[in-house]
Amino acid sequence: MTQTDNKVKRPLHLIQARKMRNYYLLLTIFFMIVMIVWVGVPILMTIMWSLVDPKNPWSYPNVFPPSFSLAQWKFVFDYTNIGRALRTSYSVAPLAVLLSLVLSLPTSYVLGRRKIPGKKLFMLLVLLPIIMPGMVVALFLSRIFTTFGLSQTFFGLVLAHTLMSIPYMIRVMTTSFQAIPQDVIDAAENLGANTFVKIRDIFLPMIRPGLLAGMIFAFTVSIEEFNLTFIIGTPTFETIPTILYSFMGYNFIRTNASVVALLMMTPNIIMLFIVERFLKSDYLAASLGKM
Amino acid sequence: MSNLRIKNLTKRFDEVLAVDNLSLEVADGEFVTLLGPSGCGKTTTLRAIAGFCYPDEGEIFFGDKIMNNISPNKRDTAMCFQSYALFPHMSVWNNISFGLKMQKIPIPEQKKRISKVMGMLGIENLEKRKPGQLSGGQQQRVALARAIVTEPKVLLFDEPLSNLDAKLRVQVRVEIREMQKRLGITTIYVTHDQDEALAISDRIVVMDRGHIEQSGDPYTIYRNPETSFVAGFIGLANIYEGAIVTREDNRCTVETPFGKVDIAFGNQKIPKKDKKIKFIWRPEDMKLYTKGAPNKIKGKILQAVFMGNITDIFLDVQGNKMRAQIDETKKLITGDVIEFSIPEEAFSILRR
Amino acid sequence: MKEKEISPIHILMLFPGVGFILLFIGSSIFLTLVQSFGVFSITGNSLFTLENWKVILQTRESMDSLLFSLKMGILSSVGTVVVAFPVALFFRKGGTGKGILGSIIKVPLFIPALVAAFLILNLISYHGLVNTALMRFHLINEPLRMLNDKFGWGVVFIQIWKNLPFVLLIIMASLASIRDDTIDAAKNLGAGYWSILFRMYIPLAMPGILVSMILMFIKAFGDFPIVSVAGPIYPSSIAGRMHIMATIYQEWDQAAVLGVIIIITAFIVIWAYSRLAEFVKGEI
Repeated sequence: MTQTDNKVKRPLHLIQARKMRNYYLLLTIFFMIVMIVWVGVPILMTIMWSLVDPKNPWSYPNVFPPSFSLAQWKFVFDYTNIGRALRTSYSVAPLAVLLSLVLSLPTSYVLGRRKIPGKKLFMLLVLLPIIMPGMVVALFLSRIFTTFGLSQTFFGLVLAHTLMSIPYMIRVMTTSFQAIPQDVIDAAENLGANTFVKIRDIFLPMIRPGLLAGMIFAFTVSIEEFNLTFIIGTPTFETIPTILYSFMGYNFIRTNASVVALLMMTPNIIMLFIVERFLKSDYLAASLGKM
Repeated sequence: MSNLRIKNLTKRFDEVLAVDNLSLEVADGEFVTLLGPSGCGKTTTLRAIAGFCYPDEGEIFFGDKIMNNISPNKRDTAMCFQSYALFPHMSVWNNISFGLKMQKIPIPEQKKRISKVMGMLGIENLEKRKPGQLSGGQQQRVALARAIVTEPKVLLFDEPLSNLDAKLRVQVRVEIREMQKRLGITTIYVTHDQDEALAISDRIVVMDRGHIEQSGDPYTIYRNPETSFVAGFIGLANIYEGAIVTREDNRCTVETPFGKVDIAFGNQKIPKKDKKIKFIWRPEDMKLYTKGAPNKIKGKILQAVFMGNITDIFLDVQGNKMRAQIDETKKLITGDVIEFSIPEEAFSILRR
Repeated sequence: MKEKEISPIHILMLFPGVGFILLFIGSSIFLTLVQSFGVFSITGNSLFTLENWKVILQTRESMDSLLFSLKMGILSSVGTVVVAFPVALFFRKGGTGKGILGSIIKVPLFIPALVAAFLILNLISYHGLVNTALMRFHLINEPLRMLNDKFGWGVVFIQIWKNLPFVLLIIMASLASIRDDTIDAAKNLGAGYWSILFRMYIPLAMPGILVSMILMFIKAFGDFPIVSVAGPIYPSSIAGRMHIMATIYQEWDQAAVLGVIIIITAFIVIWAYSRLAEFVKGEI
């Protein structure tokens, strides 16, 4: 037996199999690259734009900005209303979340755990704020608000944001409530728990993931809300979306807009990672998908 | 020429060796059952035949053709799944006709075949229903119809009866067997239920931890198990070791912890005198002692469980534990001392 | 889970959530509807009239806006689903790098629509990266007008980019309900790749596909900010036209007509999509 005989000739079907595996690997890598480019490039571009040195403007034929500086960031904070917009956005959002929470808890409990006639209909009705085209609601709700003196007020803004957040809250919370097995509650009662104890030790802990998911979605919805805020709040109140819109419209300064865009994005992306890590982000999909 | 041949099949999942160098030949029209506990590799082997599982080593042959690289949809197999796997969005008729549609069989021929099969299985009236509207037994029959209507070369079953209640299980397994006999299709059947295997197979292949323990027809597997695993897995067994004291052509006497025992061993291979052997006999082989019966055993009853047609008895024989099953009508109680006898032919010598 | 019986208290408990929504949405829709017919008009007069409807339906600008928005709605919803579906199938298989990839692809979900519009705008504007790169590599002589273009491709692209993860999640949830057994059985019976896609995956994922398309259509059809920033000079979106009618021309009644048209169109499309889904499912 010579040395070469030790290398067994690989049968044809094993070679074919190896080829197939490589093909799938390549496809996976291709997909990965496409996705990274798809998501990463727009963001990268904006980051670069926000860091352009005003002394060295970036234009064709440069593929990258000639030099970087934080001047734009300073400019935006010093000379625009961004501070005010940030404050408004981040004070309306928590209040809207709280209000939607308070309003949806009883409703979700009842929809999730009681035999309500027409439950399916209610679940669809609850989605109305999402289904109804935003600008229509914005315009005509603002007329109603004006009649009641709620237009251009902080409270009116909170109400509007709550309106947009509640559907998500209710859907997610209803699913959460529904998921609690009746057995567990029966067992607690059997062992002597009263209503207060049931709420504190059974319901609250068990709906906590759903609660958190709902609150995070509601918060995000509020931060991003544009149509209602634009009609009801502007010009008295500015939020981050409305100020970004102004930078993109009649007042288009790409670099300013870049800064605001990044400011708007970063807390959201942080929340993305929180959601991915600690919650199942398919909560929303599941609750919406069950239409 | 054998219809289906598996040669040195090996399959790993991460660190676990699911199938270990398994070889098997199946004759045309044979009904072979792969029997074993969970994790023994029977389902993996079945899926490898179907093409869902790519062998790490070894080959699968249909006739002379090597099948390893042929994708599952191009193999001439049809599988019945444990969960039935009916298409939930299609009617019963469309479920059954699916395979024929894929084979591009003309509609008149489809109609002919489907009507015939539905008639055979008694499900003609279900044709417009959806799977969600069927009972477990009906779903099982539809799954069966869907498979056999394609007239495959090999029919595969993956524990098809485990989701049915006991009575239905017995009924349907007979139907499956009769159907198979009538159509003469080579069949591989996977189960962990030994009764099922014994009842319907031409041949049982007992598997454990990825390899074949023993392969043979039901009678041989039951009466002449070759390993303690097979002996213990199918039916009940009393397993002991002993040294051969005297040896003749077809009988020997073995010195056991509970006395001398005479064993007649037919054509099993037996080692020489003074060698130690392992042997088994089944509880139902033990009879109440009558004068002149071979292998008298005297034991104290630890527990006697009356089960209707038999009494299950746990014995202590000079400190050795033993189990017997007799159809005695007299009530037996703990503490009684009973004498048993065991026929010489009842024993089976184990390889390991 | 057996649901327990209800008492009047439970009906009362429905009110905070559902009541709030019905109150505000109900009243604004009601107002839209009646104002389109001249009732409760802001001018102070309350007179039922079809005049507003006549004016709008005869105005070329309004009809052009309607058609444009319809186009945006259909292209965006179909486009996003068509792009999301293969990605969802890819993720269904599981395997290497799906965790990180999953997080990356979900990023646009958490980017507000306007920001997304801006990000893409940077990329595809007249002096943006794509044009610069294409010219650099001498693939084109003149920058392409991908933004503010007459057709609206810029808007469609932004909608797809922004909403892809949203649709992806919904479709993935739908696909997850498909058992592997079912697909194996189809393969076993001879179904090739395309058969499995069209006879198994698509029909069985139809609920998810339907929900995504409805939600996406409504978002894209009724959109205001994205079209006003990235869309053509003419026509404007129907929501944009409504906005101008109301705030600039102060013709609230006519704006109401446009509002009603938007709402009705949304419902018609929802109905049409459901019929389509039933049809596709029933075909099998």
